[in-house]
Amino acid sequence: MSEIQRPAPGSAPGSAPGPASGPRGSLGVLAALDRRWIYLAMALAVAIPMLAPVRLPIVISKEVEAFHREIEALAPGDQVLFSFDYEPDVMAELDPMTEAILDRLFAKGIQVIAMTNYAGGVGIGQARLEAAARRHGKTYGTDYVFLGYNPDWSGTMLRLGESIKATFPVDQFGRPTAEIPLLATCDAYRDIELLVSIAGSQLSEFWAAYAGARYGQRMVSGNTAIQAIFIYPFYQSGQIKGFLGGLKGAAEYETLIERPAFGVRGMGSQSAGHLLIVALVIAGNVGYFLMRRKGLLQGNRLRAVERKGRS
Amino acid sequence: MIQRTLPIAFAIVFGVFMLAQYFVPHPWVARGYNTVLDWKQIVFGCTLTLGVFSLLRFHGRKLLRRDPGALFSGVALVSCIATVLAGIFFGIEGGPYRWLFERVQAPMQATLFSMLAFFVASASYRAFRARSAHATILLVAGCIVMLGRVPAGDILGFDAGGARYSLAGIASWILDIPNLAAKRGILIGVGLGMISTSLRIILGVERAYLGQSRSGGGGS
Repeated sequence: MSEIQRPAPGSAPGSAPGPASGPRGSLGVLAALDRRWIYLAMALAVAIPMLAPVRLPIVISKEVEAFHREIEALAPGDQVLFSFDYEPDVMAELDPMTEAILDRLFAKGIQVIAMTNYAGGVGIGQARLEAAARRHGKTYGTDYVFLGYNPDWSGTMLRLGESIKATFPVDQFGRPTAEIPLLATCDAYRDIELLVSIAGSQLSEFWAAYAGARYGQRMVSGNTAIQAIFIYPFYQSGQIKGFLGGLKGAAEYETLIERPAFGVRGMGSQSAGHLLIVALVIAGNVGYFLMRRKGLLQGNRLRAVERKGRS
Repeated sequence: MIQRTLPIAFAIVFGVFMLAQYFVPHPWVARGYNTVLDWKQIVFGCTLTLGVFSLLRFHGRKLLRRDPGALFSGVALVSCIATVLAGIFFGIEGGPYRWLFERVQAPMQATLFSMLAFFVASASYRAFRARSAHATILLVAGCIVMLGRVPAGDILGFDAGGARYSLAGIASWILDIPNLAAKRGILIGVGLGMISTSLRIILGVERAYLGQSRSGGGGS
């Protein structure tokens, strides 16, 4: 029995080989890389391109182009309902697109009615709106308004189709919405040109179901990369007119509006991170198959490794 | 008796009303619909308050009993109460309330979530094995989509039959065709399931929401 086949002291019989009990040599390095090296490699892969930016070609996808078309079709003075449907956990991924969209809306003279369906989205929404408004010299109440958070997202989405002022009797800062000039002529979806939902969850899909299907509200969305996969059926059916998927979507949109910022800068880190993960998957599989071929993983040990992989 | 009958009666009445209002555009019905939505938000707000009290009670008990991890319960309690007090006494537009959000909550949540990159890398390396045909298809598709969703995917690719096939293009095809077909099938299934469950609740057949382990009839 070779060294690799002997269980490490204290390990259960039939358990998978860990780094401590793992094989030695090149095969062992491939098959049982210590996780601390993986963490270090990931940290470097993300940090180095951030510190020394690499300019990568950004090809615009059709869904981002469609998103851009929807925003460009708006005329100055049109009203947009902007929903910050995310919390700080995903702000690194969603903030770049939020900032780019708000900049574009304010630059075009679009009036923004903002809200959030998450309690944690209040701080994000307030900060991003105020920063964008400062950059473009916009005034609260006439150019933009922040309605804040209302408990019960489904009820809020439906109620907005009947009356914004009834759904939010006061804005985030306690001012009666009936006295806000921006809302004087705007009180339901029928007065809103476009709904923009920036979501780190399924809320964009629910906006499509409640505001879109029920009230015919035109909408676009911005989503985390993982969530974007779920948006494709809504995009293909035309319920969501366009969407930005993850940091790449933000980078594409920043490129389209010629305002390169964190989305474009983050592409180097994201590319390096993804390449590292794929390289690790390949390395893990090469090591696994070479060991299997050489008979280093046999009998109970092989079954245990396979069981562990399945579970 | 009333504990069981009243909620079922409420579910039937409001279920039938909310179903009917979709097809009846009469102003009285619209007014009733708005009232129900208002009440829905009030009830939701009450559950939120209940949740906060439940959280305070849970951690308060742990702290008083000096259970394992009581220190963390103390941190949770102090953070919760301090945030509420900051909002009440200094307002929510700025000051300590906003500072707590921007300088404490936001970095902590973002840091915790960013840890996923490390765990995903480690887990992919350990568990993503081409053991069977299915696993291999999943692995190859996963790697292509992962590379196709970053600019590197536009650079990487191959030429065949005089055409250029980039990983980004192949990733788009995977997302547009197989992913879409599967997702749409799931969505239709979920939709049918929701209709069936809603009808069972409205008709009083499904009673699991009352806390009963078995439904009233026809299985759960």
